[in-house]
Amino acid sequence: MNKALFIISLQHQLAMAIGNKLELKAMLKAFLKVCFNRLSLTSAHIYLYNDEHGEPCKIVPDVYHSTQHLISIPKFKRSKPWQSNSILKQFVAQLHACQASTSFQCENKQYLFGFIIPEHGLLIIETHYFIEEEVQKALEPILQKLATSCYSSLIHGSLVKEMQSKQLIEQKIAYQAQHDALTGLYNRHHLNALLSDTIKEAYQNNYVGSIIFIDLNRFKPINDAMGHSVGDKILLNFANRLNTLRNNHIDIARFGGDEFILLVKRLNTNHELTVKDIINKINYLMNTPFIVNNNTFNLSCSIGYVFFPLQSSTANNLIKFADIAMYEAKRTKTDQGICYQPIMSEKIKKRLAYSDDIKQGLAHDDFKLFYQPQYNQTGDIIGAEALLRWQHPIHGMESPSVYIPIAEESDLILDIGQWVLEKACHDIKKIEQLNLPDSFRKISINISAKQLIQHNFQDKVKQAIAQSDICTNRLALELTESLLVENLETSITLITALKKDGIDCSIDDFGTGYSSLTYLKQIPAGILKIDRSFVTNIDQSKETAAIASMIINLGKTFNMEVIAEGVETAEELNCLKHLGCQHFQGYYFNEPMPFDSFFSLLLN
Amino acid sequence: MNTELFTWHTQSKALCDFNQGLNLALDSGSKSLLILTCYDNNYPQAQLSKELSNCPAVIFGGIYPMLILQDTLIKTGALIIGFAEKFDVTVFSQLHEITKTSDLEDLVTSTLTKQNNFYGQDSFLMFYDALLNNIERFIDTLFECLDHNITIAGGGAGNLEFTQQPCIFSNQGIHTNTVLLVTLPTKISTGVAHGWRIFQGPLLVSDAEQQTLKSLNYQPALDVYRQAIESYSDSIFNDDNFFDIAKHFPLGIEDINNKLIVRDPILAQQNSIQCAGEVPINSLVYLLESDAETLISSAEQAAIAIFSSSQQINSASMIFDCISRVLYLGDNFDKELNIIAKHCNTEALFGVLSLGEIANSPSGSIQLLNKSTVISSW
Repeated sequence: MNKALFIISLQHQLAMAIGNKLELKAMLKAFLKVCFNRLSLTSAHIYLYNDEHGEPCKIVPDVYHSTQHLISIPKFKRSKPWQSNSILKQFVAQLHACQASTSFQCENKQYLFGFIIPEHGLLIIETHYFIEEEVQKALEPILQKLATSCYSSLIHGSLVKEMQSKQLIEQKIAYQAQHDALTGLYNRHHLNALLSDTIKEAYQNNYVGSIIFIDLNRFKPINDAMGHSVGDKILLNFANRLNTLRNNHIDIARFGGDEFILLVKRLNTNHELTVKDIINKINYLMNTPFIVNNNTFNLSCSIGYVFFPLQSSTANNLIKFADIAMYEAKRTKTDQGICYQPIMSEKIKKRLAYSDDIKQGLAHDDFKLFYQPQYNQTGDIIGAEALLRWQHPIHGMESPSVYIPIAEESDLILDIGQWVLEKACHDIKKIEQLNLPDSFRKISINISAKQLIQHNFQDKVKQAIAQSDICTNRLALELTESLLVENLETSITLITALKKDGIDCSIDDFGTGYSSLTYLKQIPAGILKIDRSFVTNIDQSKETAAIASMIINLGKTFNMEVIAEGVETAEELNCLKHLGCQHFQGYYFNEPMPFDSFFSLLLN
Repeated sequence: MNTELFTWHTQSKALCDFNQGLNLALDSGSKSLLILTCYDNNYPQAQLSKELSNCPAVIFGGIYPMLILQDTLIKTGALIIGFAEKFDVTVFSQLHEITKTSDLEDLVTSTLTKQNNFYGQDSFLMFYDALLNNIERFIDTLFECLDHNITIAGGGAGNLEFTQQPCIFSNQGIHTNTVLLVTLPTKISTGVAHGWRIFQGPLLVSDAEQQTLKSLNYQPALDVYRQAIESYSDSIFNDDNFFDIAKHFPLGIEDINNKLIVRDPILAQQNSIQCAGEVPINSLVYLLESDAETLISSAEQAAIAIFSSSQQINSASMIFDCISRVLYLGDNFDKELNIIAKHCNTEALFGVLSLGEIANSPSGSIQLLNKSTVISSW
């Protein structure tokens, strides 16, 4: 009677121990611990069937499933994990193969009993006594219940996994919504939200904050020349450096491209000084060169800043103002940072209005091409430089030094450049129809940096030539020395390609700086133009003459034609001739003239 | 193993006398000291803690209701046993704060790994605060994390007033809610006995929560227990005498091999019975009784079993004898000590009267026992 009661009590206890936990391993462990105490076990082990990914599973009929050790109590036998015990391994293999409860007496008189957890795995228990048959039988319904609980735990586990992965995705999305993918800094969207909150907080708590706008100087040429992967590494490196400034009062965001913003909260009373201190720290961070793929890049940045709520209390305006101030800092080439002033916005407005004028000028055909002839030593016209002139409806004849920099800030320079290209080709066509002397060679036009880096610039040149149906060798492109140096790789590729098509290039303003010799031999340009600064008063300055002489000799060495521009007097001309210069351009011969005048000059 | 032991004891309650003993122990060159003191000494805690912290030798032990040296029961005073070897002592402290089993597992695993006594060690002594609320979960976890086939003996420290006070000694001072695990350098063997027999049962534990027995046979546990005792004996329960009667009639949980694990009913609360150890729900329990002769005889059997079977020459024997046996046996307890001492073949025999005993079950797992005698020898 007591035996029957004991078995019923045992069954109850074991059944009650099933399903108390949701997680599979925890559930099985809780069950195993009760087994351990109630059955006076020496050790207990659970092995589960696995799917092809090694995860516990409910077995599928006619598919082989391997078993994998899940739990042993205790964990070790003679300092080694139980799962490496050879007797246990053999017993598990035997149990797995026969798929029926089995037992085995070990050499040390201990017993191993193996039971099947239907469709899920194996239970192995070690005892110091033989478990009676009726007790073994009594375990069968318990193991069936355990199997059901295993299945529930597996389902629960997969649901938990699904929820966790969903949660992870949600977290990732939330992170991505707020952070820049490359640098991990806050993105523009989140910065706006943070700034709006901070402005409110500043109002409520009566403190001053600041937006510090940072833009890397001359980053674009690196991106263009070295590729975006290098550019990205520099940006990431810079972002990491900036991140060292982050604290409870400073948030950092990548605003876009090479633009970064620091949102500074709770500035003390001397807020100007604090911001200056931060700017010094930013500059200090820039001092260390950026090394990417064994290349060293020395970079600087332009910084503009604005205070809130003193100068504005809307997020959009603050960022715009800081950007304008940064732009001013870039224009004035200072690394000290510039605080926004309303006058800067006025200037911008004026520039915008001026840009509109340029657009109108292009639309109304107010731009003209003037031509300044070029001569050889015997006084024959060998060509001309096409020069842009703009008859402003209010200001009259506008100087290129005023409108070209403004046009260069926007894409207007591309429209102007395209107009010049097409107009020059059109004029060349007219000239070609004249009975030109053999000495006449080509018309040159000036090219801007933005034109040069256009990926389809070569096509555009060829298209203009084809449209006007002129000989390719009648057109030459003038690129300033500084433009070439800043875009060396692009320039070399382009000039080489154009040369193949018969279009020559000249290096304008040569000698005005940069390490001329280092790159000169790499550039396949056909013409060197001596800058006017080495021509003016050349007859009166030995130093100027020496430089001009050197340039002329360089040209000869690299088999380039040399032309001196800005020749204004006979003395200058004679001196240049004496130094071996072959071609000339300047007021001594002609001022730039409208096409009709130039046409007449050629005609005569 | 030939180990010369330093043995010193006093029946004085004065801390200065204890300090003298401690100095003698240190002078003896002992590298490890088992320090046992009686609760009734009421040593100033701060001073004692300072003495222990300053001690250069490895310290382990605790404050127990009474102590044993050879065949003598020490009700006040202290006992110091000095060992020539440096024992490895692992301290598990603040255990009451750990409520999750997984956290307990992490703690035990990381502590054992850190102490580097995880592998290859198989003989342990355990001293613990008897009022630690999760001691059974701890020993389950300890067994799970220690190696298969370990042998352990231990006993709960504290006082008969069941008020929790610092009672475990280590080189960091005196602790509450702490377990000390002492790794012995030689193989320990143990003998366990209780001497209680069934007089009524089985009763189904229809509701229980850890140490609280709420219902038996679907009736309030206290009612069932009281009626059974009152109808079997002349005892009549009133509001104040629960433990006076219950100490004669413990509960027994029968395992699959008909071995009884004794659970001491120590407190009646509403209609529940508070035991000095967990009683699993759905288990079968019996009401037990005994007499002085049987209890003493069982202790003798344990002593014979351990001292006659030991294959090695041991130097020390330690008894963890339940305090309730003294309360039950009264003056007859001396007989129990005499009979154990008579069979003892080691240089030193010492021990404690404990509040709960720790030993291996026949299967090898670690068990919390009540009303039992655990004799260990190494």
